[in-house]
Amino acid sequence: MPLDYPIHRRTLANGLRVVVSPDHSVPNVTVNIWVGVGSRHEAAGRTGFAHLFEHLMFQGSRSVRSGEHFEALMAQGGRLNATTWFDRTNYFDTVPTGALELALWLEADRHGHLLDAVTQENLDNQRDVVKEEKRQRYDNQPYGTALIEVYAAVFPDGHPYHHPTIGSMADLDAASLEDVHDFFRRFYAPDNTVVTLCGDVGPAEGFDLVERYFGALDARGEPARPPLAQLEPLEAPVRVECRRPVPNDRLHVAFRLPVDETDEFLAVSLAVDCLAGLSTSRLTRRLVRREHAALGVHASAWGFVDGVSLGLLVLDVAPGTDPAVVEAALVEELERLAVEGPTEVELETCFAQAERAWLSALASQEERADLISRLTLLHDDPEGVNTQLDRLLAVTGEQVRQAAERWLSPDSRATVAFLAEPEEAAPGADAGVADPEAADAEEALA
Amino acid sequence: MSTPRPTVGPPRPWAFPAAEEHVLDNGVRVLLHDVPGQHVLSLRVVVPVSLAVEPAGLEGLAAMTARLLDEGTARHGPEEFAQLMERHGMALGAGVSDGGLLVDVDVPRSHLRTASSLVTQALAEPVFPEAEVRRILRTRLAEIEQERASAPHRALRELARTLWDPADRAATPTAGTPESIGSLTRDDVAGFHRSRVGPQGATVVLAGDLSGDVGSALAALDATLGRWSNDDHEPSPRPVPPRAAADRVRTVVVDRPGAVQTEISVGCPGPDRSTTHGWAPHPVVSFVLGGSPTARVDAVLREEKGYTYGIRTSFRPRVAGGTFVAQGSVRSEVTAEATGLLLGILDGAREGFTEGELRSGTDYVSRTAPGRYATADAVADESASLALERLPVDFTTRNLRAVSELTLEDLDGAYRRTATGEWSVVLVGDADRIVPDLEAVLSGPVGTVGR
Repeated sequence: MPLDYPIHRRTLANGLRVVVSPDHSVPNVTVNIWVGVGSRHEAAGRTGFAHLFEHLMFQGSRSVRSGEHFEALMAQGGRLNATTWFDRTNYFDTVPTGALELALWLEADRHGHLLDAVTQENLDNQRDVVKEEKRQRYDNQPYGTALIEVYAAVFPDGHPYHHPTIGSMADLDAASLEDVHDFFRRFYAPDNTVVTLCGDVGPAEGFDLVERYFGALDARGEPARPPLAQLEPLEAPVRVECRRPVPNDRLHVAFRLPVDETDEFLAVSLAVDCLAGLSTSRLTRRLVRREHAALGVHASAWGFVDGVSLGLLVLDVAPGTDPAVVEAALVEELERLAVEGPTEVELETCFAQAERAWLSALASQEERADLISRLTLLHDDPEGVNTQLDRLLAVTGEQVRQAAERWLSPDSRATVAFLAEPEEAAPGADAGVADPEAADAEEALA
Repeated sequence: MSTPRPTVGPPRPWAFPAAEEHVLDNGVRVLLHDVPGQHVLSLRVVVPVSLAVEPAGLEGLAAMTARLLDEGTARHGPEEFAQLMERHGMALGAGVSDGGLLVDVDVPRSHLRTASSLVTQALAEPVFPEAEVRRILRTRLAEIEQERASAPHRALRELARTLWDPADRAATPTAGTPESIGSLTRDDVAGFHRSRVGPQGATVVLAGDLSGDVGSALAALDATLGRWSNDDHEPSPRPVPPRAAADRVRTVVVDRPGAVQTEISVGCPGPDRSTTHGWAPHPVVSFVLGGSPTARVDAVLREEKGYTYGIRTSFRPRVAGGTFVAQGSVRSEVTAEATGLLLGILDGAREGFTEGELRSGTDYVSRTAPGRYATADAVADESASLALERLPVDFTTRNLRAVSELTLEDLDGAYRRTATGEWSVVLVGDADRIVPDLEAVLSGPVGTVGR
């Protein structure tokens, strides 16, 4: 049965897509803005720029001084931040209803008139902050650089997803004020942006307010290029070994997947869950519970829009176990799923967990707003918040099997193995949290 | 031209979702929070247990017992139990704090009856199969190594060891050490469960959209958790605040040769939420000192100097006692200067906060509350925390009212009572690089320990 979150949408004359989803249960409104630019749009030699730029959006604009965006909204009870990811940059503010207009005014000022206030000093300061973010989240963590290796191994050189959103230190150093100006002019424009209002506001009032504050911004007019063609699975396995002073061996096994929101992506995401996404998945039962060869296994399917998505399985190898044994078991289970498909119970379990996860995400006004923005910007389908779950629940076991056969063949895997070695043997010893889920969008605040 | 800056309207009235209180036949207290529109229900079971009752040398026993509750019961083997939970859309977690054991479950409303039945089985009749006990203990040992490798975890562990008297339970990690976990047996776990996990004093919280059918939700709980009994259950003594170490005012460097950053953790003992001085000023102080990029600490260390991605300050209440901690990471070469600046800001704040800080801090804490407590999950977590801390169910609403009435004297008093200038400082970083410069900014002794 479809869900019934109210969705009202309108496109302003300047191309800005606006969605209003009223929910008066709490006297709050979330303003969630997705701009159609992420690290996939970065030029060679300028990796990490979309994220550095996102930081500069908090350093003042035409009528707002540096830091005032955070300060003014937090002082009214606002909770806000921004994140950058491969396909988009996201700015969000959850404010008491009475501060909605202030939030829109502040957002419109920076989305329309950032360049009036950008200075070399701000750029240099935020470049330093972003470098500390990179050190904290990647370089000073034991497996922190694994995902960077994964992207490079599974996607071809020069492909938009080959490099990580955080970028490289050298490219961050190279970023200039001129780059900031060019980037803003190219990508920050109403016709490349979605504004979602979710919460204590009606559709008429919501559209009026967005028109009042964003209506005067100029359209960019430069059409986005069409997405790249779907990447086929890897033709032969790729293997990268990194010897590091990590607490235990960890295998990251990646696959190219079909693009986000396709039926095939939904099916393969269920296959990934069957393998290692749940606590009753095949690899969890076999390697963790029965054979004690792994400490834990995790898996996820990340949907992207530019010709490919990413499937990632992470296997923490138990001390004393040969990682080759774990990888051999993985290969067996991949082959078996492609032949047998999921059992009825497995499919039912995946559905039950997907349903709870989806309803839990929608339970929060902030996450609901974020999903609406994502579905609107990337798929032109804000109603998807109500219909996507039913689409997933309609996938059949045979479709899951076919998806596993086509996209999760052992020969199509890229394995990045982090193998433990004694600390003294490794110059530049890393240290950090051992959380395979730690890879998330880069954020401005913390 | 830009549109003129709009004014801000007053916040609309709001109160923490009220609890409807019931008592099940076995004496278990039930708190029902009807939160319309929340289709996934959040169920919490709080069992008061003081960690102080763990036998010496077996630290982590309570935490391991909690982790093993759903690894096999009298009716279902471990895999079968996991399968039953996942097929019914459940997600279950269980853990302990200094004052109790907490089981938390999220489940779509249609599966509430099954979920509460399975939770009851996990609490009342776990069988602790030997193989599962060994697996969970081995997993904990690996987790300890992963925590050791994580600079923020490692810093907090060393801070606890520095702050608290070595004989106090608080000086040792809640989930145990390699030595204590290595000593645990299945019998220890089964014995702890038998004597310490029971319905006496327990509270069940259920939050979510119960509209129109509170009766059936209550009936589901009554038929399951209301039948839970344990004749051997010995209630725990009430937790007491940890004793501070006599030599806590010092600096400890945890050596990480080659580390590109230093994790800085500065702390001192702090209050719990039942403090007689009132809890209200503490979150406000946390916010204005180190709760945002423009708060005192990051205004200097992040926005002016660019030394850090962010350093946060927070009061961290336990059931009894607590800490005040400032923590974050800086690049290695500026460690001494950043530590000196941080301590200067923390000590300088004892001279007093400003009217502007009072206003923005109180507005931030009180006006973010409707959003912070908007989901069933958040309401259930707060309600369960109140139960664990033995605070009244209207604490959250009353505390928010108190926040809006705070004065500068309240803020200054709360901070000065805690921040006496006697800091424990932990630095996780490359000792050879950072120690020589530290002497210039730190007055007390500096010791170095291994990773």
